Amino acid sequence: MRKIIGISINLVLALLIFCSPGLAQALHIAVPTDPDSFDPSQTVAAATGEIAFNIYEGLVKATPEGKVEGALAAHWDLDQSGTVYTFYLREAVFHDGSPLTVFDVVNALDRARDPEIAVRAGELEVIEEITALDGAVRIQLKEPHGAFLYALAEVFAVIYPAQARDLARNPVGTGPYSLREWHPNQQLVLESFQEHWSGRKPYYQQVVFQIIPDENSMVLNLKAGRVDLIPRLEISTLHQVEGDQNLQVLAAPMNLVQLFALNNKRAPFDDLRVRKALALAVNKEEVLLGAAWGQGQILHSGLSPAMPQFYNPDLGSVNPYDPQKARALLREAGQENLKFTLVLPANYPLHIAAGELVAEQWKAVGIKVNLEIVEWGTWLEKVYNQRDYEVSVIGLAGRLDPHAILARYQSDNSRNFFNFANAEYDRLIAAGLQAAGEERIQIYKKAQQILAEEVAGIFIMDPPQLSVMSKEIKGWKHYPVYVVDAASLYE
Amino acid sequence: MGRYLGQKSISFILTALVVSLVTFLILQVLPGDPARLILGTEGSPQAYARLREELRLDQPAGERYLQWLFAFGYGRWGTSLRYGLGVRELVGQALPLTLTIAVLAVGSALAAAIPAGIYIAVRPGNWGAKGLSFLVQIGMALPQFWVGILLIQFLAVRHRLLPAGGREGPLAFVLPVLTLALPRAAVLTRQVRAGTKEALTQDYVRTARAKGLPERVVLFKHAFLNGVFGVLTVAGIQLAQLFAGTIVVEQVFGLPGLGQLLLAGVFQRDLPLVQGIVMVVAVLILLLNWIHDLLLALLDPRLRYD
Repeated sequence: MRKIIGISINLVLALLIFCSPGLAQALHIAVPTDPDSFDPSQTVAAATGEIAFNIYEGLVKATPEGKVEGALAAHWDLDQSGTVYTFYLREAVFHDGSPLTVFDVVNALDRARDPEIAVRAGELEVIEEITALDGAVRIQLKEPHGAFLYALAEVFAVIYPAQARDLARNPVGTGPYSLREWHPNQQLVLESFQEHWSGRKPYYQQVVFQIIPDENSMVLNLKAGRVDLIPRLEISTLHQVEGDQNLQVLAAPMNLVQLFALNNKRAPFDDLRVRKALALAVNKEEVLLGAAWGQGQILHSGLSPAMPQFYNPDLGSVNPYDPQKARALLREAGQENLKFTLVLPANYPLHIAAGELVAEQWKAVGIKVNLEIVEWGTWLEKVYNQRDYEVSVIGLAGRLDPHAILARYQSDNSRNFFNFANAEYDRLIAAGLQAAGEERIQIYKKAQQILAEEVAGIFIMDPPQLSVMSKEIKGWKHYPVYVVDAASLYE
Repeated sequence: MGRYLGQKSISFILTALVVSLVTFLILQVLPGDPARLILGTEGSPQAYARLREELRLDQPAGERYLQWLFAFGYGRWGTSLRYGLGVRELVGQALPLTLTIAVLAVGSALAAAIPAGIYIAVRPGNWGAKGLSFLVQIGMALPQFWVGILLIQFLAVRHRLLPAGGREGPLAFVLPVLTLALPRAAVLTRQVRAGTKEALTQDYVRTARAKGLPERVVLFKHAFLNGVFGVLTVAGIQLAQLFAGTIVVEQVFGLPGLGQLLLAGVFQRDLPLVQGIVMVVAVLILLLNWIHDLLLALLDPRLRYD
């Protein structure tokens, strides 16, 4: 009797296991939040761009090296004046079976630059006119614009069929994967697209993005084999995966600038000596070790070495760790009893850890620091929007072109919550768009120097992007922008 | 009975109104703005203004509340600002999961607590009872998320007996239910023990014994059933708490339940979503109260006066 019961229990268990959906040929990727909207004119969340990269394509697309290459445009040319681009289209088919036409391109880009329609229309405001030619599209710019091609590689400039409706939930693109199902708070299922213009078929027939908000659960799911890949592991959980025989950890710079934002307009931070003293009192090596387990790259200005072409490597000596000099500068500025509040965003463990470490370093030179941890909504409202703060820590996400990253320190830029104002800097950033080649590179190097010398903020590190996956997975590509390239993965 | 139901319905509606108003006020007082949260650190003023208009945040707060209230009264729950989907659809997807887990957890806690509690009450000096009491203490002291993570670590990662999360197949529910049930079983065991122990000292138990009834009947029919009311009340409260959110466990096990949805809603200041969830939870708790009252009346002859 007992035997029969035992056998039937086993049978039931086996049945349950067989009934659960098969996992063969599917890749499971863990991400912390849902996308916002797949409508290219409406989306702003990084979480969307990460997935949409596999579904949509623009005329051009980003490469792992931080350059752009032809996607729906096979090639393009630029006229002598530097203002007329002609893009020659490939033969491609959308997920809904309709062929790509020049009218789809004109429609998508005209919508993308229409402030009445697109949330990020401002990014394409340099476009004067878009014209359909035979098999090509001509884009006339108002003036030469060095960052234009990079803007075309972003999710707001992707191409979709002119007749498509409800893209927010049902995206139709030309990418290697199409969206099959989306259960909010649960998962998104992508299916490989058999008619991609490249003729290549992705290794994984299905890619499932699983929404797992908790870091620890993400790691446990990976170890238990329910998830195959975590594209962005929180550094504090690194020790949980290190040494696991079945897993591999791949690290690369994230192209994110972590900095202590100083409110440049508020006394006493309007005094360069005070800003400089704060910078000199920070031991960045210690922060890197303590907050990021020694991973990542130390920064000295507003651009990461992840952008090797434009990165200025000579700024390490501008504000070296020198607590003696920091004290002297504070005395000189009459701020021996400096006291302020450091606001930290609660949802970023890395910034909180860095904030706590630096607060201790500041205390060592006689500064009184009051730590205040606030929830993200509060941070955006108080620090970012009202600019009502003294000092805070944040990470600014990288883009493909230095202009998109450095423009936010211009005195009249709406994203300049540092209240940084420097006439020379403003001039340089404006000139950078008109320049090309080596001249353009020198302009941005000079701009980085100003940010460091004027201490717009205290630049700490580019944290590593830690991607953890099962040992079998090959072909992972790190990008300097926020994407997961699922089509290049295989076993 | 009719009068009783009428009274209940009126207090039901009033409570729901107060709950919705309080929720609304709290979300108003919290700093932060849904449009700003959606845009993050890359938003421009133009994009912000456009999004606010689209989400109708440019209208006065009071007006928005009244609009929501009337629409809700007509059965329209509105659209989530964060997900761009109907709130009713989102809640409809999450609710069954949370209900299942909550009922299973309290049910299995009761199933374990009743025999354990009676056993401890009847044989207090026994080693088995002492061991059980010790386990109860530990069960009450352990934090839930920690128990959950340990269970995953041991049963899902090391031995791969059960899924670490998700909702694929009934086995996926074992760990979350166990995590929720353990501390609740501990509390309920104490309740059963206390109730039974007290009942055992009562005159009617002595009378029952004096009548020569078998000890089994004395124990279950006379002692336990009289002590059961406190247990039911506690279990009811536990169930209500779980309806209001199994947030921690949902986070740990990656379950797309009501708790996670509510948390996402609060973080994003997604008023329609938060209101919708809070209303559903409030109604559930009010219903639960009502069932509890009814059950007590059925079980306790002294309350059947109406």
